[in-house]
Amino acid sequence: MEGRLRLGAIDGDRYDRSRRVGWLDMDAVFGARVLMVGAGALGNEVGKDLVLSGFKHVTVVDMDHVVGSNLNRCLFFSDEDATGRRAKADTVAKGMRRLSPGTDVRPFTCRVEDLPEAIINDQDIVLGCLDNIAARLHVNARAYRAGKVYIDGGMEGFIGKVMIARPPQGACIQCGMNRSHAKVAGLRFSCTGKDVVFHEPRLAAEITTTSIVSAVMVREALKAVSGRSELLLANAFYYDGQRNVAEEMEVPPDPACPVHGRA
Amino acid sequence: MVFLAFRIKVKNAETGAAVEMELETENTIDEIIESAATFWSKDMGAYVLRKGKKVLRGGTALKDAGIRSEDVLELIPDPEGG
Repeated sequence: MEGRLRLGAIDGDRYDRSRRVGWLDMDAVFGARVLMVGAGALGNEVGKDLVLSGFKHVTVVDMDHVVGSNLNRCLFFSDEDATGRRAKADTVAKGMRRLSPGTDVRPFTCRVEDLPEAIINDQDIVLGCLDNIAARLHVNARAYRAGKVYIDGGMEGFIGKVMIARPPQGACIQCGMNRSHAKVAGLRFSCTGKDVVFHEPRLAAEITTTSIVSAVMVREALKAVSGRSELLLANAFYYDGQRNVAEEMEVPPDPACPVHGRA
Repeated sequence: MVFLAFRIKVKNAETGAAVEMELETENTIDEIIESAATFWSKDMGAYVLRKGKKVLRGGTALKDAGIRSEDVLELIPDPEGG
């Protein structure tokens, strides 16, 4: 049978190079609904990676607005956004649409605790780009209860971590926490300095670590929605850019974890 | 009640420093984390202790966590920023 070749056709397909990755199910990626909680440094990078990877339906939640000190690590933020005190969720959503026109990005400027249950239930996967333990625990519990895969990223300076909770099996984010987490769980580190319950020195934030953590998060999301759960990180990915260490760590499920008990 | 005492080494992942600790089997992972963080004057924050690739559960007593004398554990920060 004779085929027809149109020169340059493959270079006109935005996702041609992604389609060449054998295990990627691009139709599943296009159709997946993603909730991204947090639109700060990590949210900017994750948002960029999501839309460039082909995700077309993303909900973005963040309560904060852009400030000047965000600008050393946030692709979608500008000086004008900072002086205009624009909402981070709106600004990231706008940037994502600019990178991938036609993508459905819904921004919510609110606390994740105030996000309606139906919105989480409506997602296929949840990505946490949060800056505090309390919000992380909240999203972890809600995603677990809703039976959604939750991919959580965290970083400080040159150290980063990605952990995946896959209900109903395995450890959740809370299983990997201890008394030191409980002590800081009530503190909120806000880039704006607003809504800080208890003032602490601000976390070190650094774009190269952000890029690596976000890349791992979105790559795992691609595996999850492509139905390749056997390729997913079993537990946690740990990265130390200062020592050039990147490794997978085992987080055993905690039989006493309240999240599992409520699921 | 008699508690068995034994010695372990805890390494500071951020600096490479190490400290020996004399412990009893009833001591918990949480207690080691707090002692080590205080010893190294760590900033307030979240830390985990690991043995090899395995993260140790905070409330677990050493005897239940499979920790043996002369084991080397590592204290690592658990990053929370985003």
